[in-house]
Amino acid sequence: MVEFLVFLCVIFPVLAGGAAFLDRSNALKKRLVTVTGGVLTLASIALALRGGGSIPFSSALAGAMSTPIHVLDLALLCLIAYIGWRRSHRLILTLAAVQLAGMFVLGSYLHPEVAAEAPAFTVDSLSLTLVLVVSIIGSLIAYYAIGYMAEHERHLHLVRTKQPRFFAIILVFLGAMNGLAMADNLSWIYFFWEVTTLCSYLLIAHDDTEIANTNAERALWMNMAGGVAFVLALLWLQSVQGTLSLTALQAMARSGAKEAAFLLPVVALCIAGFTKSAQAPFQSWLCGAMVAPTPVSALLHSSTMVKAGVYLVLRLAPLSLGTTVSTMIAVCGAFTFLVMAALAAGQSNGKKILAYSTISNLGLIIACAGINTPAAIAAGMLLLVFHAISKGLLFLCVGAIEQKIGSRDIEDMRGLFQVMPKTALVTAFGIVSMMLPPFGMLLAKWMALESSVEASAMPVLVVTLALGSALTVLFWGRWAGILIGSLNPRLELAPETQEATMGFAVRSLTIGAAVISFFAPLLYLWLVEPAVQAMFADVSSLSFNGWYGGVGNRYGIFAVYPLYLLIALGFWYAWNETKKHAVSGPELPYMSGVQAAQNGTIGFIGPMKGFVEAKGGNYYLDAFFGEGRLIRPTNYIALALFVMLLGGVLQ
Amino acid sequence: MKFDLQQWINTGRLKSPWVAHYDCGSCNGCDIEVLACLTPVYDVERFGIINVGNPKQADVLLVSGTVNPRNRVVLKNLYDQMQHPKAVIALGACGLNGGIFQEAYNVVGGVDKVIPVDVYVPGCPPKPEAIIDAVVVALGKIKEQLEKADRGQAVNG
Amino acid sequence: MIAKLFFGLIGLAVAPVLGGIIAGLDRRVTARMQSRFGPPLLQPFYDVLKLLGKRPSAVNAWLVLCSYLTLMSSALAVFLFFFQADLLLIFFVMTIGAVFQVMGALSVNSPFSQVGAQRELLQMLAYEPLIIMVFVGIALKTGSFSIENIYALEQPLLFSLPILFLALGVALTIKLRKSPFDISTSHHGHQEIVRGLLTEYTGPQLAMLEIAHWLDVVLILGLCSLFWSTGMIGMLVLLAATYFVEMLVDNISSRLTWQWMLTRVLAPTMVLCLVNILWLYTL
Repeated sequence: MVEFLVFLCVIFPVLAGGAAFLDRSNALKKRLVTVTGGVLTLASIALALRGGGSIPFSSALAGAMSTPIHVLDLALLCLIAYIGWRRSHRLILTLAAVQLAGMFVLGSYLHPEVAAEAPAFTVDSLSLTLVLVVSIIGSLIAYYAIGYMAEHERHLHLVRTKQPRFFAIILVFLGAMNGLAMADNLSWIYFFWEVTTLCSYLLIAHDDTEIANTNAERALWMNMAGGVAFVLALLWLQSVQGTLSLTALQAMARSGAKEAAFLLPVVALCIAGFTKSAQAPFQSWLCGAMVAPTPVSALLHSSTMVKAGVYLVLRLAPLSLGTTVSTMIAVCGAFTFLVMAALAAGQSNGKKILAYSTISNLGLIIACAGINTPAAIAAGMLLLVFHAISKGLLFLCVGAIEQKIGSRDIEDMRGLFQVMPKTALVTAFGIVSMMLPPFGMLLAKWMALESSVEASAMPVLVVTLALGSALTVLFWGRWAGILIGSLNPRLELAPETQEATMGFAVRSLTIGAAVISFFAPLLYLWLVEPAVQAMFADVSSLSFNGWYGGVGNRYGIFAVYPLYLLIALGFWYAWNETKKHAVSGPELPYMSGVQAAQNGTIGFIGPMKGFVEAKGGNYYLDAFFGEGRLIRPTNYIALALFVMLLGGVLQ
Repeated sequence: MKFDLQQWINTGRLKSPWVAHYDCGSCNGCDIEVLACLTPVYDVERFGIINVGNPKQADVLLVSGTVNPRNRVVLKNLYDQMQHPKAVIALGACGLNGGIFQEAYNVVGGVDKVIPVDVYVPGCPPKPEAIIDAVVVALGKIKEQLEKADRGQAVNG
Repeated sequence: MIAKLFFGLIGLAVAPVLGGIIAGLDRRVTARMQSRFGPPLLQPFYDVLKLLGKRPSAVNAWLVLCSYLTLMSSALAVFLFFFQADLLLIFFVMTIGAVFQVMGALSVNSPFSQVGAQRELLQMLAYEPLIIMVFVGIALKTGSFSIENIYALEQPLLFSLPILFLALGVALTIKLRKSPFDISTSHHGHQEIVRGLLTEYTGPQLAMLEIAHWLDVVLILGLCSLFWSTGMIGMLVLLAATYFVEMLVDNISSRLTWQWMLTRVLAPTMVLCLVNILWLYTL
C-alpha cells in the first residue's frame, strides 16, 4: 500500500507531465493538472494517515526505478552541460563536467552496492511534512497557474503556446520534489535534486527574454555549484564511510562517529542545501528568479523547491548534533535571517520583498536546524509548513495584482483596496499571517526564540534573531498598511471578478492559513513531535508538548486556542462595530485646511488655485538597507562564515 | 447606567476644551497673546486647555485676523473638519468685523461672515485673561448646545 | 489556574484606571517642572470622556477597525501580564496593536499621518529588539520565559540584569513616545507633524488609542516591576524612580531625528544588552 502511494506521489506526476507535454492542443491541460493535483493531495494525505513506512530496494517500485535513475542522472548532467555549451556559459559547462566526472567515478570505481533489504524510500514524519507541503500547496499553485498562464500568454501575444512545456515541467517537478523528500539513498536524492535544479532553470527562462535567460543561467550555475558539493559528499561518503544511506548514516552518528572524516561530507551537503535555499552569499539567484511567471515564483522559489535545501539541513541535523559544525550552521542561518530581512526592508519591488523575506525565513529554519535541540527542530518544521502556506498565498496575490495593475511595485499598490478589494484584503491577511499572532508563523518564531536561549552560540543568535524579527515587522507592516489604504474620498469599491482556478487556489490557501494556524497544536502532536522523536534518541524535557490547547515547554506556553479565539472574537467585534460606523460617511483627511478631492483622488488646493494630488511614499532607508550598501559586505561575511563552518569540522 | 455615562461625557466636555488656533491674516498681535496664555504665567492647562494643531481633534477654534477671499475657504474647511460639539471664538478687532482693515478691497469682514461665531473677544490685541475667559464662556455655549440636545434637538446644526 | 485567571481579570479592570492616573500625574509633574500648576489629576479621564462623546466621523473605516484592534491587543497583553503568561507571548500580542495602529494611519492618504506612520515603524524597529533582549536576559537568569518563575527568585533581577534594565528604560521611552523619541507623534500640549501617527484618529477612535496607551504604560511599568520582584516597597520605589526619570528626561531633552535614534541609541544599547547577556552567559 505504501509502495503504491509512493508511486502516486513520485511517478504519477511525472507520467502526467509527460502526457501534458504531448498534449499539444492544450485540450487536456486543465483536466491533467486537476487530476494530478487531486491524486497527489489524496495520496499524500493517505500516506500521512498511514504514518509513513519504508520501501526496500528489493521492492518492485524501487527495482524498476533503479536503472532509469542511473541513466537519467547522467543524461541530465549531459543536458545541463549542453545548455552550458549552447549558451557558451563556461562555468555551467565546467560544473556539469565536474559532476559528470564525479558520478562516473562513483559508478565505475566505487561501485556503491546497495543491499536488497536497504531502504530506497523512508517515509517518516519529516519527509511527510515536505511531501504534504509539496503535494497540497504545490497542486494548488499548479491549479492557479492554469488561469494565470492563459492570461500571461494573452499579455505576451504569443503565436504558439508554450503551456504544454510549462505544465509538463511543473508536474515533473512536483514528482521530483516528492521523490527528494522520501528517498533514503543520497545518490537518489542527488538525482531528484538535480531534476529540481533543471526545472528551476527551465522555468525561470520560460519567457525567453534576455533578463530571464541571464537570471536563469545564474540560478543554474549557483545550484550546480551546490551540486558539486553534493557530488563530493557522495564520493567521500562512499569511499570513506562506505554507505550512501541516510538511515545508516544516522545510525553511525548515534553510535558516536563524529570525527572530522564524518563531518566533512555533512558540511558539504549543508553547503549544497545553502545554495538550494539561496542562503547568503547565494541569495542573488533567488532574487533573479523573480522574473519567472508568478506561479513559478510561488511554487519553486518560495513554498517548495527552496524548502528542499532546508529539508536536507534539517534531515542532517542529527549527524552534526553537539558539534561546532552545528553551531556554525546556526550562525550562518541567523546571519542570513538578519541580513535578508534588512534587504527586504530596503525594497519597494513587491516580489523582491517576498524573495528576500523567503530567504530570511529559510535562514531562520537553518538557524533552528543548527541550534539542534528538539525544540528548535520542531520550530524549524513548523516554520517550513506555515511559511509555505502564507508565502504561497502572498505570491499568488502579487501575481493577480500584477496582472491587474501592471506593476509589482508596492508604491503602486497604494489604495489597492479600491481597485481589487478582495485581493487586497487577502494579501493583507497573508501579510498579517506572516507577522502577527495567533498565526502559525508566530508560534514557530516563538519556539525558535525560546529555543535559542539554550543554543551554544546563544548571544550571537539572540541579537540577530531580535533585530531580524523587528525588521520583519517593519517591511510587512507598511506593505499591509498601504494595501488597505483608500485614495478615493468616497469609498466606492470596484466589483472584482477573478478567474475561477486562480480564485479557488487563493481561497483555499487563505482558509488553509487561518485553519491550519488554529490547529497548529494538533499539527505539532501529529507530525512534528514524531519527527523530533525519531531524530533524537533522548527527547529531554526541552521538547515542547501540546498543553491546554497550546504548545509549551519548560520555558513557557503559547496557548494557541484561547489566544486564537480571543483575538478572533475581538476582530469580529471590531469588524461589526466598524460596519455600523461606516454609515456616517467618510470625510477628507486634514490638509491644513486646503483639502480637496478631484477625480476620485485626494489632494489639496495648491498655489494658483490648482489642484495638487497628495502623494506619499515609504521610507526605504537606502542609506541603511539598500542593496548597494549591504550586498558586498554580506557576501564577504557569508564567505568568512563558510570558512568557519569548514573549520568547525576540525574541532 | 447609560445616562450616567452621558453625564460623565458632558463633564469631560466642559473640562477639556482643546483649542485649535487659526490666524486668518492677523498682524500677529493677537497670536502673541494666545501664545502668552500657554506660558507658565497664565498656564491654561489648569483648565484642561491644550493647543492642538489639528482641527479634527479640537473643540474650540480660535480665529484671529481679518478674513479675506483667499483664506475664507481655509477657515470654512477647518471649521467643517472639527467634530461636534464645537465652538468658535473670534479674537480681536479684526476677527470681530475686520477692524481697521474692514474697508480694504481684499477684506471680507469678520469671522462670522464665514462661520458661526459663539464668542467675540474685542481688543487690539485682547489681553490673555480675556482669551482665557472667552474659552470659559465658549464652554458655557457648548453646555447650552448640550442642554438643547438633551431636549431632543440636534447638536449645533 | 482559576486564581491566575481571576488575577488577570482584576488586573485588566484596574489597569485603565491606574494608567489614567499615571498619565494625570505625568502631566502634573511635568507642569511642576515647568513651574506651572498643570491640569487636575483626573484630566486624562476628562479628555477621554470628551473624545468618546464626539460625533464620530473618520476618513475611512480602517481607522475605526484599527483603533478597536489596538485597544483589544493592549488589553489582551495586560491581561496576559497579570495572568503571568509567557513574556514573549505578551510581546507578540503587544505587537498586534502597534502594527494595526500603523496600518490605520497608513491607510489614509494624508502626508502627516503617512510620515507619522513611517516614523512609528522605525520606532518599533528601535524598541522591539531591546525588549526581546531584555526578555532573553530574564530567561537566561530564571531559566524560563514565564513570569511565574521570576517571582520565585530570591534576589531581584535588577542585580543581575542592571544594563538590561537600562535598555528596558530606553525601550520604554521609545515605546511611550516620550522626548527625545516623540518622533512619530507626541503627547498633550506638544505637536509633531500636526499629530503624526494620530492625526487622522479622531473622537472615539482617539479615545480608544488613548486608553490603549494607558494600558501600555501599565504593561511596561509592569515589566519594569519584574526587576524587583522580591518586595512590594522596593518594587514601588523602583517604579516611581523609573517613571520620574522618564518624566525628567521627557522634559529636559529635545526631540531627536530617527537617524539619531537608530545609529546613536539603538546600536549602542544593543551592544550594552549583549554585554549584560554575555556576562550572564559566561558566569
